[in-house]
Amino acid sequence: MNPGPKVITYFLGNKYMPITDTLIAAWLSVILLIVFSCLLTRKLSIIPDRLQNAVELLLTSIENLIEPMLPGMGREILPFIGTIFLFVGVGNLIGLVPGLSNSTGDINTTVGLALVVFITSQYHGIKVNGIKNYLKGFIEPVFIMLPMNIIGELAKPISHSFRLFGNIIGGGIIITLIYQFAPWIIPVPLHLWFDLFVGVIQALIFGMISISYISVARSE
Amino acid sequence: MDVTLINAIIKGAAYLGAGIGMIAGLGPGIGQGYAAGKAVEAVGRQPEARGDITTTMLLGQAVSESTGIYSLVIAIVLIFVV
Repeated sequence: MNPGPKVITYFLGNKYMPITDTLIAAWLSVILLIVFSCLLTRKLSIIPDRLQNAVELLLTSIENLIEPMLPGMGREILPFIGTIFLFVGVGNLIGLVPGLSNSTGDINTTVGLALVVFITSQYHGIKVNGIKNYLKGFIEPVFIMLPMNIIGELAKPISHSFRLFGNIIGGGIIITLIYQFAPWIIPVPLHLWFDLFVGVIQALIFGMISISYISVARSE
Repeated sequence: MDVTLINAIIKGAAYLGAGIGMIAGLGPGIGQGYAAGKAVEAVGRQPEARGDITTTMLLGQAVSESTGIYSLVIAIVLIFVV
């Protein structure tokens, strides 16, 4: 019993590029999001109907999360943060369908997302402060602190990715164990807690931590 | 000492290490309970800010759970990979 991604096939028969079930779930969530947004934006109107109202409410609430930490830049950062939040949210919820696994239950997905956020925050830091101040920020306050600052910067994507990965995999292991003992009624509240509640909360946390990393990199 | 005995000792030590490593589940329990206590106190002081306080409490609790998750990942690696 091995938790984690299970290899289904190989890409073009090449033995070093496996296609796992978490990768298929990630593709499925991307296709779902694209199809949903294409269907939704076909008839935009000034007076929205119910579905457009719900999506506008979601996007406005994400923008209200961004505003306190990055004042004035809400509209620019909203596509990036909204994509991260929706991708992680749909990826966590798609595990409820029987036969599919969570797309974030794979260390590759979460490290990929955390690296994208890391590179974006460094880019914002260089763009706002200039490259001289950015490099000088590593030597503050004393010159001896250079390795500590570098390790502190590198620890951010590690903790960012492992938080999401560990929460989702931990839920998956407990549910797999309970399925072997009592597969009939008892897994239902466990799925409710682990997949719905923890999945949505961890998607929110992932988004908010990435907003705070960008705002910290811009401010110093 | 043949090979199967050495492999059995390595596996047994890995399982033991995984179990001892999960003592780190003590930290997030105390920290998150403390945050929840402070949040309850704040709601008691100003009951109309309950939504904001709940959101901030959940955010702080999820960040303080990180070190418990690190030890869980180490224990999973010890059980299933070694």
